[in-house]
Amino acid sequence: MKKSIAVALCAVMTMGMVGTCTTVFAAEEPDPTTDEAVVKAAEEEWEIAVVPKDSTNPWFVRMDTGVKEFADKTGVNCYQIDTGTIDATKQAQLVEDLIAQDVDAICVVPVDMQSMDSTLKKAKDAGIVVITHEGADLTNVDYDIEAFSNEGYGAFIMQNLAEAMGEEGVYTTMVASLTNGSHNEWADAAVEYQKEHYPNMTLLEENPRVESDDNGDTAYNVAKELIKTYPDLKGIMGTSSFDAPGVARAIQELGLVDKFFTSGTGMPADNAELLKSGVLKSLTLWDPAKSGAAMVDLACKVLNGEEIAAPANLYVDGYTEMNFREGSETVLEGQGWITIDAENVDDLGF
Amino acid sequence: MKKKVKKIFQSNEPYIFLIIIILGIVVQIRSGQFFTGNNIVDLLSAMIVPGLFAIAEFMALISGGIDVSFPALASLSAYATTKILLDKGYEGNVFLAFLIAVLIGALLGAINGYFIGYLNLNAMIVTLGTSSIFQGFMQGTLRANQLSVIPQGMKKFGTDSFITATNKVNGLSSVLPYTFLILIIVCALMFFVLRYTIFGRGIYAIGGNALSAHTAGFNVKRTKFIMYIIIGMIASIGGICRVCMMQQCHPTNMLGMEMNIIAGVVLGGVALTGGAGTLTGCMLGTFLIILVQNSMILLGIPTTWSDVFVGLVIVIGVSLTALQSSRTSRSKKKAVKEGA
Repeated sequence: MKKSIAVALCAVMTMGMVGTCTTVFAAEEPDPTTDEAVVKAAEEEWEIAVVPKDSTNPWFVRMDTGVKEFADKTGVNCYQIDTGTIDATKQAQLVEDLIAQDVDAICVVPVDMQSMDSTLKKAKDAGIVVITHEGADLTNVDYDIEAFSNEGYGAFIMQNLAEAMGEEGVYTTMVASLTNGSHNEWADAAVEYQKEHYPNMTLLEENPRVESDDNGDTAYNVAKELIKTYPDLKGIMGTSSFDAPGVARAIQELGLVDKFFTSGTGMPADNAELLKSGVLKSLTLWDPAKSGAAMVDLACKVLNGEEIAAPANLYVDGYTEMNFREGSETVLEGQGWITIDAENVDDLGF
Repeated sequence: MKKKVKKIFQSNEPYIFLIIIILGIVVQIRSGQFFTGNNIVDLLSAMIVPGLFAIAEFMALISGGIDVSFPALASLSAYATTKILLDKGYEGNVFLAFLIAVLIGALLGAINGYFIGYLNLNAMIVTLGTSSIFQGFMQGTLRANQLSVIPQGMKKFGTDSFITATNKVNGLSSVLPYTFLILIIVCALMFFVLRYTIFGRGIYAIGGNALSAHTAGFNVKRTKFIMYIIIGMIASIGGICRVCMMQQCHPTNMLGMEMNIIAGVVLGGVALTGGAGTLTGCMLGTFLIILVQNSMILLGIPTTWSDVFVGLVIVIGVSLTALQSSRTSRSKKKAVKEGA
């Protein structure tokens, strides 16, 4: 009897281990070399140029890392090229040069939508594949990639905030300004998600949305005032990259670490200290390296003449189930959000 | 005695002070949180940087000029200072930071001073221009981005507690950092300079009438030049205080503050035409703006309406000020007539 229990236990444990192993494997990055189109691209030596807004910005340095890794791993001739300054005119000029060089595909993160759109028309007329990122309003493109839908990202921030708050208590939302489109969509989606999934959490009725003016100091002062006014308040959801860090400063000063919580968009290097000291439990973001790689993969697919149907798999983590934005035939949205915490904050390099 | 009391009520300060008290009582009734130690400390700490900027702007307005470049000037000198100290791996105390920033501030202020003082150009246009130049220099030449780590000495200065106020009811404790002392010192120093030195009286005289000031023997050009240097120095001190308190240096974080600062100074009874106004009024006006901005939530005013409310307080405050000064000048004219 004892023996059988032992055997059963062993079996359960082994299964558990296998289980963990498989989840580890599932979390492992998808392999773009298994994508037919990418293999073909490497064989045919298609040239794919990625044009960021400006390469001195650490954000696009990180994107460059992603593109380079993709090139090293797959052998596809892809590279990032830029103008050194954020300048719409220079960026358009660079794209024109690429058209003249007759590259096979151009991937752009546009500085200015209008001027880029007319330049991209020339590229399309020349038979060059055009992929963009964060350019959903462009019309002369094959496809535009967005890391996520606004609804999805809002829900994701809420998951992080709820985890920190222990899924209970009163919270409110902070946006740069009430007129900011995406911030308010994220906040609305987060509130929706909370209502569905966290019954023990409630939105602060008297002040459901406050403004930070995209300024860390304002976020800090507003947080202090909220905490004073509403003793029951336990958390603030941030949207702008200054919100959660600003609130964290208030938490630190008022001695409310582990009693009051915040989560939201934030840059890793700028907030490493706050994350490591535990004032901030987590921040949310998307990884430009992944967006860069996903653009190149999609370019390979289009060059290969593949039909892009939802859900499209771009063989990049967070971009494996791309769906079309409602009412659009060119904008693809993924699930490319990431959580930044004390452990991975130093790994991103920006 | 009667005359003295009458004189006090002819000035703006008591009215601004009254508005502050009334607003405080309203906040107290609405939230029960106004007259608590931690709330007062919060307000004072929010006042430090705007307070320093207000002193700088006050001088420019008194002299009949205006300065809209101080946020960019402060950003540039604070950023450059922090960057220099970081690159050198500086680990000492904060004095060196203030020293470097003040030097850079003086240099940048001298640019404003040269154009406005010696070339006699319009102060608004000059400072608008230099504001763009300072920003451009920061973003272009220095490639400024957020510095999330600042030298230890600066961080310590900005976070160490000068006064800590704990609210016994909810256990919240707010910290007033030592930067507050800087505001007090600069304020006291400028109060003395403006009231008791020839240079200070010269600023008032130039604002009243530059030609008469010249005739009376003031060196108008040099006074303006030196004044803009001092403005640059004070603004830079404000910039360093902000960096120390934020524990990070953000190059664009202070830009856009100029309008509310000017509003605060004018609210305090300083004439935009120059020549009239007191430092006390300037500080009270600035405090009123800070108070309104930081009491919207305590008052329970919805976010949608908070800008309207801040605007209303400014308009009402300035109207009161204007009414007051027209009353004063009328009674003065009357006195002159009677005398004749």
